[in-house]
Amino acid sequence: MSKYLDLSLKEIHELLKKGEITPTILVNECFEKIENSNLNAFINTYKDYALLEAKKLEEMNVPDDILFGIPIAIKDNIMVKDMKCTCASRMLDNFVSIYDAGCIDYIKDHHMIIVGKTNMDEFAMGSTSETSYYGAPHNPWNYNKTTGGSSGGSAAVVSIGIVPLALGSDTGGSVRQPSSFCGIVGMKPTYGRISRHGLVAYGSSLDQVGVMSRNVYENAILLNAISHLDKRDLTSFDTDIDFTREIDKPLENFKVAIPSFFISDIIDPEVKEKIMNIKKILEDNKIQVDIVDIKYIDKTAILYQIIAMGEASSNLARFDGIKYGYSYPNPASLDDLYKKTRRYGFGEEVKRRIMVGSYLLSGENAKIYYNKALEIRDDLKKNFLDAFKKYDLIIGPTAARCAYDLGMNQNDPLKGFMDDILVMHANMGGFPSLSMPIGLNRENLPIGLQIIGNLYKEDTIYQLASFIEKKVKFDSKKVRNGI
Amino acid sequence: MLTKEEVMHVADLARIEITEEELQKYQKDLKILLDEVDKIKDIDDFDDEKMFSPTDNTFDLERKNISVTNENVLLNVPKKMGNFVEAPVMINE
Repeated sequence: MSKYLDLSLKEIHELLKKGEITPTILVNECFEKIENSNLNAFINTYKDYALLEAKKLEEMNVPDDILFGIPIAIKDNIMVKDMKCTCASRMLDNFVSIYDAGCIDYIKDHHMIIVGKTNMDEFAMGSTSETSYYGAPHNPWNYNKTTGGSSGGSAAVVSIGIVPLALGSDTGGSVRQPSSFCGIVGMKPTYGRISRHGLVAYGSSLDQVGVMSRNVYENAILLNAISHLDKRDLTSFDTDIDFTREIDKPLENFKVAIPSFFISDIIDPEVKEKIMNIKKILEDNKIQVDIVDIKYIDKTAILYQIIAMGEASSNLARFDGIKYGYSYPNPASLDDLYKKTRRYGFGEEVKRRIMVGSYLLSGENAKIYYNKALEIRDDLKKNFLDAFKKYDLIIGPTAARCAYDLGMNQNDPLKGFMDDILVMHANMGGFPSLSMPIGLNRENLPIGLQIIGNLYKEDTIYQLASFIEKKVKFDSKKVRNGI
Repeated sequence: MLTKEEVMHVADLARIEITEEELQKYQKDLKILLDEVDKIKDIDDFDDEKMFSPTDNTFDLERKNISVTNENVLLNVPKKMGNFVEAPVMINE
């Protein structure tokens, strides 16, 4: 088997330019890896389509674009025209997208080759990808461990080297937490940076498409490609920034904060040790690192649950068995059709969240819970903005612990929320946040560092991330070569 | 803890059918989740300004209209009659 996909994007591009390899060779290598993999990371793959696209690219001159001809995997809640978009749910098992999502327009403009749609938690609700109708994906670092979630399939396929890049979505950590568990780089950019048009909605005020890669530079390159104003998403915006522009620049007068909550007793000692090691590296390089307190940072899980479940109950009301998706056969009445379609079409986790969300939004409860959560959310965001007046970035662990055994917490309704207790702040405030690998624990499982930036400051995050990447020298190829 | 009747009411609001056996399980699960979100009642020192969206992008009135063909709209419809979406009869309900 060829191993061109293990090379950097720059190296692959050079070989394509020189005519030493073709996009077809890359696609064939990718599918050979898919066929030899048993990670259950894809829900559907599209070999014929990918080979056809590769063939078309071979009739073109290779442009100066390092994304040209690169295979990419897409989370199965992002629409790609003529491909299924199941959201890992029985409800959409046969649903075929009739248009491309806003971000997919740019993936295609850059002539990247979409090879498949990746496994995930059903409708992105979960933190282990185990709520998938198609069964859980497996962590490449240890087959019996969870990939994290909800973008677990995307994290797994980048980690094992099937594709160099993937897209995920992040409502409360769903790009960063699986990136941490699988030892890759995952960025949830500022809310609105990437169009949400064509991303199946979960919690609309929190949802954001995210980019997943093997290293920091390639992450910034993919973000460059797909972040644009899209008039089909009124929360999207346009800023003409090259996200690689600060990479390798010196970190002069940099100030970094670590919230005390991020290194409290809830963090696994091995994870905490690695974070404190990063603190030392930064201080040794004359970067000021302070431990700070941010009010409400420990209350975010409560706000997140109320807002995410409330918005989910409204967003998922569209699945009625009439317009698209699963439809219960021979219902006794219209109401019977709705109720039975949703009973059999949705999985347990989704039904639980819709029911709680319906309760939280019903009658007076909307004031008691949802409105109050929006008020505290506003305060939380202001507290983060205050911190960003003094500090360039906020850092801490991505997850309180490393990947754990599959099936471990399946019967705990709170579990899916508690895994994301360190990453949901960025969604609450709309802040950009990245997870990157900084080492392994004693079980050879990756540990992730989270870097949160002020609104629109993805370039500053990449600057620090690339600095740390060079210092820790995390060997991402270790998982592919046998640990 | 929600009573069985209240859980049935919530399921009704959510348009999800639940069986008698499932009722007990949902009653237990919803209690765990609602006990957690109830902690919001203990927070009392905050401003009354609400945040509806995390970014303050201006509302763009030149929103692009999205149009799809009839054929595409009908592509994923479970039951159709010619060019129409078919829904169950509700006149005698």
